[in-house]
This record gives sequence, C-alpha cells and structure tokens, in this order.
Amino acid sequence: MVTDQFLYEMIRSELAEIVGPEHVSTEETDKLVYSTDWAWMPQMWLDRGQKLRTPDYIVHPGSAEEISEIMDIANKYRIPVVPWGGGSGTQGAALPIFGGILLDTKRMNQIIAIDEQSLTVTAQAGIIIEHLEWAVNEKGLMFPHYAASSNCATLGGALAPRGTGTISTKYGKAEDMLLSMQVVLPTGEIIRTPPVPQHAAGPDWFRLFLGSEGTLGVITEATMRLDYLPEARLLRAVLFDDLSKALEAGRLMMTHRLEPFVIRLYDHASTRTQVRKILGYDFSGAYVVIGFDGDPDIAALQEQKAMKICTDLGAIDLGREPGEKWWDHRYDFYYPPHSLKLPWMYGTTETVATFDKIERIYWAEKEAVEEGFADQGVQFIGHFSHWFHWGVMLYSRFIIEQPPQDAKEALRLHNRVWNAAMQSVIANGGMINEHHGVGLKLSRYMRKQYGPAWPLLLKLKKTFDPNGIMNPGKTGFGF
Amino acid sequence: MPIENVILTTDNCRYCLMCRHVASVEHVTHREALSPHGIALVIASVQRGLLQWNADTVGVIYSAADNGNSRAHCVFDQPLPEAIAAVRAEIVAQKLAPAVVYDLDARFKEWGNPFKQQKPQPVAGRGEVALFVGDEAQYLWPATVTAALALLKAVGISPVLVGMGRSNGYLASSLGLPETARRLAQATLADLETSGVRRMLVLSPGDFFTFNQLYDERLGIDWPASVQLSELTTFLADCLEGGEIKFKKTTQRAPYAYIDPSHAVRLPARHAGPRRLLARVLPGPARELFWRCERAHPVGSTALQFTQPDIAEKLTLARLEDARQSGAQMLISDDPGTLKCLGDKASQFGLRVQGLYELLAEQLD
Repeated sequence: MVTDQFLYEMIRSELAEIVGPEHVSTEETDKLVYSTDWAWMPQMWLDRGQKLRTPDYIVHPGSAEEISEIMDIANKYRIPVVPWGGGSGTQGAALPIFGGILLDTKRMNQIIAIDEQSLTVTAQAGIIIEHLEWAVNEKGLMFPHYAASSNCATLGGALAPRGTGTISTKYGKAEDMLLSMQVVLPTGEIIRTPPVPQHAAGPDWFRLFLGSEGTLGVITEATMRLDYLPEARLLRAVLFDDLSKALEAGRLMMTHRLEPFVIRLYDHASTRTQVRKILGYDFSGAYVVIGFDGDPDIAALQEQKAMKICTDLGAIDLGREPGEKWWDHRYDFYYPPHSLKLPWMYGTTETVATFDKIERIYWAEKEAVEEGFADQGVQFIGHFSHWFHWGVMLYSRFIIEQPPQDAKEALRLHNRVWNAAMQSVIANGGMINEHHGVGLKLSRYMRKQYGPAWPLLLKLKKTFDPNGIMNPGKTGFGF
Repeated sequence: MPIENVILTTDNCRYCLMCRHVASVEHVTHREALSPHGIALVIASVQRGLLQWNADTVGVIYSAADNGNSRAHCVFDQPLPEAIAAVRAEIVAQKLAPAVVYDLDARFKEWGNPFKQQKPQPVAGRGEVALFVGDEAQYLWPATVTAALALLKAVGISPVLVGMGRSNGYLASSLGLPETARRLAQATLADLETSGVRRMLVLSPGDFFTFNQLYDERLGIDWPASVQLSELTTFLADCLEGGEIKFKKTTQRAPYAYIDPSHAVRLPARHAGPRRLLARVLPGPARELFWRCERAHPVGSTALQFTQPDIAEKLTLARLEDARQSGAQMLISDDPGTLKCLGDKASQFGLRVQGLYELLAEQLD
C-alpha cells in the first residue's frame, strides 16, 4: 500500500501518462467496489460493516503495451499488480489484499478475428464471455464455454483459474478450447505462446499461465476454438434412488464415449432443496439431467444408448420436460434471492477425482462437514457436473443459515469448515479444486496438495516475477 | 419505494453480477462502480456506514441510465432502477443532489418540461383516441407529431392531442423528484379525463413504460382502467397486418438499420413491429446492430443528459459506432429523444438519421 502522499501522486501521474487520466481512478467508490470479488469472505466482511484493504489505483489499460509499461512502474516502486476481469471469482483471487494497482482488463474487449475455416476466434482477454458468444452466434458458431458466470466474467477470467462451463463434458474446459494467447509477463515482456497447442516442439510451457490466476502474468489476448451451433439439443432427466448407481451410469456413458454434453447429477439433498426451489419439482432421489447435441440422428442414438444404461441401473425416465426445464433455467440457481446469499455462510468446496475415488470423497466430505459442524446446523449438498473419461467433478457445498454475527468469528468458522472439507478431499485422493481456482481461499492448501513438487512452483514464480509484484498472496505464493 | 424494499433490492443486487452483459453505462465507462451491482454495493455501503453521501457517491448514484436493462434481464425481476430512483429521492431530500437536479425541478414546476420555457398547451376537444405528445416530441423532434397525425388520419383516426409540451413524469421520477413526477402524472390524467378518450397512443417505448408501469410502481398512481394504452408502432404494425394501412416502397437503396430506442428493452414484445413496418417501405437491405432488441443499449436521452452529460454522450456515440460497424448508412428510430441524440452526432460517423413516422407518412399509399 502506498502511504506517502507525495509518492502516491507521483505514481498516479505516471499511470495516467500511460493510460490517460480518465482511465485511472482513486475514487473511494471505485476502491470499495474493487475491494471485493465474488468470494464469500470479503462480501461477508463488508456486509458486517467492516472495511477491506482497497487498491491504491484502479487502472483500465487499453493494450498489452500499456500493461507492459504499468509493469515497469510496479517493479520500479515494488507495488502489487492485481489483474481483474469480471470480479466473479469465488476464491478471492482478485482481492487487492496488499493494495497496489488493480488492473481492470474490461476495456480490452475487442474481437480481433473470427476464422470460419479453422473455427477459431481471437479476442482481447477483457471481453465479456456472453458478448463473445453473441458475436460468434451471428456466424452460426458457438464458444462452448457456457459458464454460469458467462454474463459477467471475461475471457481472461475463464482461462486464468482454469474455468469450466456447463457443457464441458463434451466440449472441454476453457483451457481445452485454447489455441494460443498473448501474455504480459511481470517483467514487462509481451510474449505469445505457440500458435497451436498440440505439437512436439518442446515442453508445454504455455500451460503455466493457466491456473496462475494473475501471479505469473496478465493474459491479454487469446485464440479459442469454436464449434458449430448444434442442430439439435436433446435433454432428458432420470431419477435414481441410489447415488452409487447414478454415478455408475455417468461413468458408463463417459467410458463408452457416448459424448453427452451434460450430465448433471444432483445428490438427494440438492434434489430436495435446490431443484425443488428453482425448478419446482418434488422429486425424491438423485435427479439427473442428461443431454446430447449436434447431428439430430446421432444425438438421438446416443441418447437411446444412455437411457438404456440408466434404466438398466434402475433409473426412472422422467422424460424431456424436466431436462429441458433445467436447461432453460440452468443459471437461475445463481440469481438472488434463490442463490446462496448473505447473511448465510456458504462455500463451494468442489473437487475432482477419478471414478474409483469420487464417491468415497463425497461421503468423506459430507461426513466431515455434517458431523464436524452439526452444532451450526450445517447443510451439505452436492452435484456431479463436469465429467471426464476418467472421473468427475463433485460440486459440493456447505450452507450455514445462521452463522455468527461477529465478522471475525464468522470468518474463523468459515475457514474451519473449509479445513475439514479440504482435508477430507486431499486425504481421499481428490484435488482441492476443479474449476473455481485457488485464489486467496485455498492458498494455504497448495503446499499440502503438491508436497515435494511445491518448491518447484515457488522457484518458477521467483523466476517469472523476481520482485513478487503479481497478485501477491494468491495460489499459494506470498508477497 | 419504501426504504425496506430499497434495502432488500440493493442487498440482492450488490453481489449479483448477472446483468453485466447488458449494463450500458459500465460498457462505455468500464467502471465497475457504475455497473448495476456496483451502484447497489455503493448504496448498501452507505447504509452500513462504509461510505457517506458526497460528490463521489452521489455521482455514482446519478450515473445509472435508468433504461431498464438490468431489470429486463433479471430472472427474478429485481426492481433496481426503482430502488435507485428512491435513493435519489432521499439524496434530493437531504439537499445533496447535483445542482442541476434542483434546477430541473424548478423548470418542471414552472414549465412542465426541461427543454423550453413554455407552458404546456391545454387539451382541445374530446374524442375516442388520444395521442400523447409530451415534451420531447414537441420540442426536440416535432416532425414526429405531424407524421403521426398523417398516419392516424390514413386509418380514420383524428386523435385528441394531450400532454403537448409537458413531460410524462419519467425524467422527474428518474432524477429523484417523485412529487414533481406525481404532479406531471396527474396533469396527464386530467388531460385524459377532459378529453374523454378510451385509448391513448404513445410515440415511444419510454412513454409506454412510464404510463403502464412507472406511474404505478414509482408514483403509486393507477392508470385509468377505461383507457387502453398502445404504442403507435405496434398499432401501425397491426394495421398493416390487417390491411388497414398501405405503404409504397421508397426508391432509396442505402443499407439501413432500425435503432431500438431508449427503454425498448422494457417492452420485449415490441421489437418486431417497427422492423415489419420498415421492411414494407424500404427496399434497401436491413442491417441489425449488435446491441439490438432485448439487449439494446440506450442513447444519452435519459436523465444522464443532464446529470452526467459525458456518459450520455458516450452512450450515443457507442450506438452510432455500432450502427457504423453494421454497414448501415441510414438510421431509423421512432422515439423523439433518441432521434435528437442520434441526429446531433450522426454526421461524425457518416450516417443519416430518419424518423420512422416521417418515413412512413411519406410512403402512405
């Protein structure tokens, strides 16, 4: 944090010289609004009338070259740079916890090229994902990163924490759609990764920036894979009594490569609460939405085979309507007042593991949370929604409807619940996260997650960012 | 809106980012504080003692476009624009609003409009159908009224003109002047009573929204059940469909685009009407803007033109740039306020602006 007023004004002037005075703000309103992202911890803190550390400067650069010059200033004065996309991260990755320069990338929102032959789009990283989708839709194409945050998150914000969208089961995570990108390094160099991701020209170093969450550089441009808008989208829902059998049905669909674009398996508790509240269904069991898209004939055949797997395992076919309704309302789960919101305490302790481990993780985490915090009236809910050939993501969540009113006490309880959940995940072979990223919230688990490999990452960080200016305190890296 | 509802709405919206993709002011300023959630968070933070009302915070509150995009795209219909209007009223009551707001209040009270020092004209005559003129059509784009009368004459309607030179009350409401807005609303209702009409046609979606929704939600005034409200574009499109009105094609071949006017997003069913009418009279290829229909951004015709003219101009310029990129050479719209904003700047982009009603009136068959 820049405390000396003279220096503060000097740095402000230098920043204004680079981006123009209208693109630098030190207004109190901006500082407050940029002091929180979508993580529960800072939101709760403000909700209880407590102040957060704010950025010293909010800067809206218009180009990679401007960001490079800003890096020079940050290195010269040793002040932090915190990249900001849509501020929709849930892990506190964009929190300016040490002050410094908050770099809002949304001014860099241009589409540079749409290649209808190779099916790619090249865009600046500050573009809102939905705007990108609208633009490619006009050419009969789609950018298949259908994240719940597409309305508000940026392209860079999808890549930096290795985000996943609703239809990832067929189309992959955001990183799987990436061909190449431009990055401004902490030392100011503007680099481009190779033009294609699959090659044999040495190590796959460009992936270092995926998941770095702004600690190793600023993603300023990306070329992403597109797909044709599907001719058909077939959705259907089934109901299982038994979660194990529902997981097995999903596993069989994936390992037999039926290519569903979505398998959304809600556990009994989610079906009873979330599905009832948002979709209005009074189902008892595990509600599963399954979707196939693309060529209508192929999709119909895939669906037929998937339904046989489900019914052979004892599922009840609920028909199309509960599947289509879910699709039409899939993002309603994230709008207030039906989304999880303050004054509740909540957290999404999502994880990913291979099929042989995932159910064990589910029950272990459920037990750790429910039994460890029974006195707090905790609820544990989950769904399985991003499936791979080898395993699946568990989107587990805890909810405490009447948390302590005192902000410090609430924060301590929140962190204890997280500790219990993450310890059970790591102990049972899961990853601490699948698509929300690490941010500030999960930083403390990185050493444990990676064990002897962790010092290697620390050395890489030091090499990339010798002055430690980039987003300090995140993804396990200090200041 | 009562304070408890303001708190409920702003608490719901302060951490919800789901309407950012249609947030017009944030799109042209890039300031997160000027997004719907940013404004809600500022209000919530003042309520929690984290910020005070001062030039900075009040500036944020008076930077909202009040165009309806956030609410139109909210799954649960959070009335954030209404909450912001209520907060502005509180700021006005505390004498902390921008000076221009008090100046405008005086103008509304004296002249009934912010554009010209002239009293509204009284209603003349009685009839079945009224046409609401308002202040923007009267003072900013008067050709609209002449054309609208010609079009209505073609379908056998001679409307009673009401609200000539008087604001519909939206602007006052938006600025945080609900009492002034109520007086303007009452004057409109008195005009209707005097004229005895059963139907009122309006020239823009902004007028329709004001009478149909704002009077009730923000001012607590019921629209008279005996008076049917219709937008003129929708009415004419229906007439065209029913064969009651006929148009001939123009000879102009330039690519054109229809600009959905400010507030159009508040009426999702209205987007097809003007496009159908234009397709009937214009042989040139129709272009579509990127920001169109349900995602249309406003021009600077809302209260921003007075409280944040820089932002208002950015909004107008963004729409013109969007139109330029679409390849259109002629821009057509129906709302007088939108036409005035576009018309003032269009030549910078090599574009020509044309009123929809004037074009249609010229092509009556």
